[in-house]
Amino acid sequence: MASIILENACVEFPIYNARGRSIRRNLMARVGGSVAADGDVVSVNALKNINLRLTNGDRLGLLGHNGAGKSTLLRVLSGAYEPSSGTAEIEGAVSSLLDITMGMDPEMSGAENIVLRGAIIGMTIPEARERIPEIAEFAEIGDFLDLPMRTYSSGMNMRLAFAISTAIRPDILLMDELISVGDAAFASKAKQRVQELIASAGILVLASHDAKSLLEYCTRGIVMEHGQIVFDGPIEEALARHGMEIPGITKDAAATTGA
Amino acid sequence: MSLKPSPRDWQRAIADARQGLSAWHVWNLLAMTDIRQRYKRSRVGPFWITLSMAAFVGGIGLVYSTLFKQDIRTYLPYLAVNYVVWTLIQGIIMDATGVFSSSGVYLRQEAMPKTLFAMRLIMRNLIMFAHNIIIIPLVFLLFGVWPDWEMLLAIPGMIMLLVAAYPVVMLIGMISTRFRDTPVIIQNVLQIAFFLTPIMWKVDQLGAAAPFVVGLNPFAIFLRIVAEPMNGRAPSLWTWGVAVLVIVLLYAITGPLFARLRARIVYWL
Repeated sequence: MASIILENACVEFPIYNARGRSIRRNLMARVGGSVAADGDVVSVNALKNINLRLTNGDRLGLLGHNGAGKSTLLRVLSGAYEPSSGTAEIEGAVSSLLDITMGMDPEMSGAENIVLRGAIIGMTIPEARERIPEIAEFAEIGDFLDLPMRTYSSGMNMRLAFAISTAIRPDILLMDELISVGDAAFASKAKQRVQELIASAGILVLASHDAKSLLEYCTRGIVMEHGQIVFDGPIEEALARHGMEIPGITKDAAATTGA
Repeated sequence: MSLKPSPRDWQRAIADARQGLSAWHVWNLLAMTDIRQRYKRSRVGPFWITLSMAAFVGGIGLVYSTLFKQDIRTYLPYLAVNYVVWTLIQGIIMDATGVFSSSGVYLRQEAMPKTLFAMRLIMRNLIMFAHNIIIIPLVFLLFGVWPDWEMLLAIPGMIMLLVAAYPVVMLIGMISTRFRDTPVIIQNVLQIAFFLTPIMWKVDQLGAAAPFVVGLNPFAIFLRIVAEPMNGRAPSLWTWGVAVLVIVLLYAITGPLFARLRARIVYWL
């Protein structure tokens, strides 16, 4: 069963200037004392006291202005960044579609990259090999399958990356904006694939600036400002709170709940 | 900031090691891809590793056997074995300085076990070692060196080297990610170690200083537990003993540090 529990999670990034980075200067500071500066480390508080509970079936929309902390929160949810204070307990297989080309090597062929990226996202190698034809067909790369990816057009690169990244069914699905790749014909195929993916996921977290997508896929919304959650409730109210009204939908919802 | 790991830190560190080690098909694939990428579009491909090794050993062997007035028939095989093993040790240590800082793409996106990157590095260096070791039977054949049973002792020696490699990579990796001067410092240490370790010279050439320079030199210890059997001598009990001691020390130091700092590595990238 997928579950995410964040309790007072904070993410604080230390920004080491050139001085902090070097052992030599740290040593000189303690030993010599004459030339060196103190360890002036600036910290960026990306997330402050995040409390969040998600269980199977939750469809969460993440709203906030640029720099509010949405991407950082997504990286905490994927497990990449463990909170610098507080706790994050994440259970279930995570598929983070934040960087769909992660791990792909332009010198290797499309088929080799399917196995490479497939193995990184959790497929076994025999399984990845078996699925090469199916994934290549979805991505519509044709004969380029056995050519190195540096010969692909950027569209082909993205289509193949998308095809591999969406080939598994995760417990927890994290997206930073809905992925849309390819031309109109491919885009509708891609949209259907994303819908299937969302439908089968235990937990969905979608960060977006697009009100329509958020309304379509999410039931709950949180609004972030300066690294903190300022609102947590139904998606329509979250959209209203964030100032993203859609006439006829959010205004009505806000009116009926008396917000 | 306390350096003492909490029970939860230990739990996660052990899970990291377990998950990293069991994902062998991933790090194996990544290691092979690393090698192939380096030699893509090259005709000779990874066998350049073998050829370069052969050229170096051949050249240095000829020059130094004359300089040291050593019989080339014994000196060249000795040098070849030592240099191939040293290249493995040096490669692992030098690569370790970049093990995490070069994998930022992965570490910032997903929760991949840090151990996986260490294993990929070790595997990559082992593949290169496998290419390099090809010259040994050729040199042996050329100079009439016959294998004997002592050579099998190189296998446990190799296992001990790999057991030691894991904490070394994690420790150097963590320090290098936090303190960006470390790679250059390590490079200099390796440079000095190369001369203080009996690779190009024989232990009996050293005289009275031998027990200290060789016996207390961890590089020499780990070189010798693999190289000496291949040169036809079983390593002494002292060598085995110190190797075990160093391994225990490495785990004792790296274990708690890894438990405490594992989650901080991404913040340092």
